[in-house]
Amino acid sequence: MATILATEQLNETGQMPSVIEVPAPTAWPFILAFGTTLLFAGLVTSMSVSVLGAAFALAGCVGWFRAVFPHAQEEAVAVVPEDIRLTTDRRVVERIPVLPDQLRAWLPVRTYPVSAGVKGGIAGSVAMAVLACAYGVLKAGSIWYPINLLAAVVYRESLRLGPAQLYSFHADAFAIAFFLHGLVSIFVGLLYGAMLPMFPRRPVVLGGLIAPALWSGLLYTILGLLNPLLASHIDWFWFVASQVAFGIVAGLVVVRQQSIPTRENVSFVLRAGIEAPGTIPPRESGEERR
Amino acid sequence: MSSNAITLPGTQIQARPWVDELHQWLTTVDHKRLGILYILSALLFLAIGGVEALIIRIQLMHSHNNFVSPEVFNRMFTMHGTTMIFFVAMPVLFGFANYLVPLMIGARDMAFPRLNAFSFWLSFLGGLLLYFSFLGGSGLYGAGSAPDVGWWSYAPLGARAFSPGHSSDYWTLAVLVSGFGSIGTAINIIATILCLRCPGMKLNRMPLLVWMNLVMAGMVLFAVTPLSAAQIMLLIDRYLGGHFFDTQAGGSAVLWMHFFWIFGHPEVYILIIPCFAFMSEIIPVFSRKPIFGYPVMVAATVCIAFVSMSVWAHHMFTIGMNSYANSFFTLTTMAVGVPTGIKIFNWIGTMWGGRIQFKTPMLFSIGFLFQFLIAGLTGIMIAASPFDWQLSLSYFVVAHFHYVIVGGILFALFAAFYYWYPKMTGRMLSERLGKWHFWLFLIGFHLTFDVMHIPGILGMPRRIYTYEPGRGWDTLNLIITIGAFIQALAILVFLANLVISYFKGDRAGNDPWDAWTLEWSISSPPPAYNFATVPTVASRRPLWDLKHPEDPDSRYE
Repeated sequence: MATILATEQLNETGQMPSVIEVPAPTAWPFILAFGTTLLFAGLVTSMSVSVLGAAFALAGCVGWFRAVFPHAQEEAVAVVPEDIRLTTDRRVVERIPVLPDQLRAWLPVRTYPVSAGVKGGIAGSVAMAVLACAYGVLKAGSIWYPINLLAAVVYRESLRLGPAQLYSFHADAFAIAFFLHGLVSIFVGLLYGAMLPMFPRRPVVLGGLIAPALWSGLLYTILGLLNPLLASHIDWFWFVASQVAFGIVAGLVVVRQQSIPTRENVSFVLRAGIEAPGTIPPRESGEERR
Repeated sequence: MSSNAITLPGTQIQARPWVDELHQWLTTVDHKRLGILYILSALLFLAIGGVEALIIRIQLMHSHNNFVSPEVFNRMFTMHGTTMIFFVAMPVLFGFANYLVPLMIGARDMAFPRLNAFSFWLSFLGGLLLYFSFLGGSGLYGAGSAPDVGWWSYAPLGARAFSPGHSSDYWTLAVLVSGFGSIGTAINIIATILCLRCPGMKLNRMPLLVWMNLVMAGMVLFAVTPLSAAQIMLLIDRYLGGHFFDTQAGGSAVLWMHFFWIFGHPEVYILIIPCFAFMSEIIPVFSRKPIFGYPVMVAATVCIAFVSMSVWAHHMFTIGMNSYANSFFTLTTMAVGVPTGIKIFNWIGTMWGGRIQFKTPMLFSIGFLFQFLIAGLTGIMIAASPFDWQLSLSYFVVAHFHYVIVGGILFALFAAFYYWYPKMTGRMLSERLGKWHFWLFLIGFHLTFDVMHIPGILGMPRRIYTYEPGRGWDTLNLIITIGAFIQALAILVFLANLVISYFKGDRAGNDPWDAWTLEWSISSPPPAYNFATVPTVASRRPLWDLKHPEDPDSRYE
């Protein structure tokens, strides 16, 4: 194994070694690889090729063994003195003004806990489900209608439902639609929780209008491919309304949660709430951590 | 420009005779030389695989073409796919990992230098064995032929009854031999990163390139081993009368598919994660900002690695799995888009508000971002099993994965070439030729692979030898072929740039990009020992700390 000289430092002006030992070049790995390849190549050419490969491989193994035992062979390389200057012409550092008392900050300065995204996603999913079921009852006459359509995104059996069966309860389609809706809603809620602090000026406009509009536009173009059943039955007014309902409710729930300072740069020990002396070592310079 | 390496008078190294030089390269265990050997071998096979692609495109240029025979056409797409994945993409990424990882962590070499050499030579000789099949496909005394059953070698097509002679054996043995090399390299990368980091370089201070190569190497161990096992099982079937994949005798053809794709899909991430690594180093430097969301980038990479291990059967939607399996693999495949999206968001976040420098590496990086996003979106589309049933095995799928491999991986690789070539050779690549390369390749790429989606939607199957006129495919295929030749021209410009700049390029100095990671703290090319004194780091950007002692990162991490 290659070794390092752990005592040497980059910035120290102490003596530089005049020679450094590095692993010595050797042909044995090449010979072993060549022999191994010939060994296999013999299967498709001639037994004699395999025999030759085996001989090379054996020689390679022995040679390699002798090159590393009892001590790995190394060669001394003379250190070439160099004048390396690590400087930059870009001395001026432009800073985005974030906090008056800090030169640097992790953006966003404050964020929402993960639980805020989960809560937002669940609340949004309820709002969306209420509107979707209302659509089912008011326009289609069955609360199960939108649920069967949703399941068809990933569930082949739903695609096979006849027109009459779309209005009745199917446990498997319900379970899949419920799981899918919940999972995607929580994911989107988490995204809201992560992204809304980065667009702090008008969070509800972003979450409630812009994001649903983008998402609906994307789905409008590809829904026929993703879910032909839903595409053939969809009512776009109600669909967009349910997306907006999700966005507004999820956005409002998220932004009403207590925001916390971004702790990306804080050690896991601190984030985990472990309070014990010595868990956070002081800086080598003795400087206070910020 | 930040700094220059000056070799002091009286220390010039004498040129050696070329025989000595050749001997040095054959016996080297230096990670930098082996990295360069990996890269050169990949470029050799890239040229060969590229010619095969052009032959395929000429054949499909118009209907009822017979530029090559159907048998040769089958060999061409088989060899093209196998070459590009196993003997171009993997070696070139291993080459960059070999070269850069020790330099970035302040080490003097890889953990196992001799294993490193062994792994490279296995990979390279595996490629030569594959191409020897053109001479010896049916044995030394028969007429030769190369493998022709596709780069998946699906069962039962790979069985001796359907693939007589030795052509399929060459495919199996070559991939097996190179697979051993891949496993050796992966072990070496993991051991190097875990054991040889310089003082102060904790895991959370490692450059993202190192993190992502660590994840990639772990994935190689999990993904390549099942493939190697399957190759051995196939050999047993073909040579010893085994029945693993023989459906007539109680075996399972679907078993081969599972074995292949449990390698095949993680393989996509094995290839793309090092490209994420290049982006994570290049975009910050050319945006003049630190990477946005370092911990999230690491977490997203690990997340991608885990999720990507559970998506393989989305390649098998059309074989007739049950609804639950289809649903599971649809969901997991869509889920992998979340951490990937986080990465794209963070790279854009890094660029936001930055002083972006549109040098050639950054141009290729921006191309990567845009194209990989499109590739991801078409990936989400065919992750939906109903959609996949319509377009599986069509040119839409071919367009999708070439968008990933060419639009994503190859663009990122070109960015890496332009960024680290000065470190490897001490010379800058020509910016003028680089921009010609970029724009030609961009135009050729989009002509080829944007258009290729359309014949797929119109029903053109992949691997089709020729087609009837009047299906609306002719003009589209002509455009695709023209695009392929423009890409080939761009590659020629790139190769010319590599050669010309090696002899006549501007001197690079040690840090031509004013960058922040350790490899730029030593001369270009680095000496055999890398670091005369082993560095100590105190932050993720050690060179920033040295260049800005009044405001080092270490104060805030």
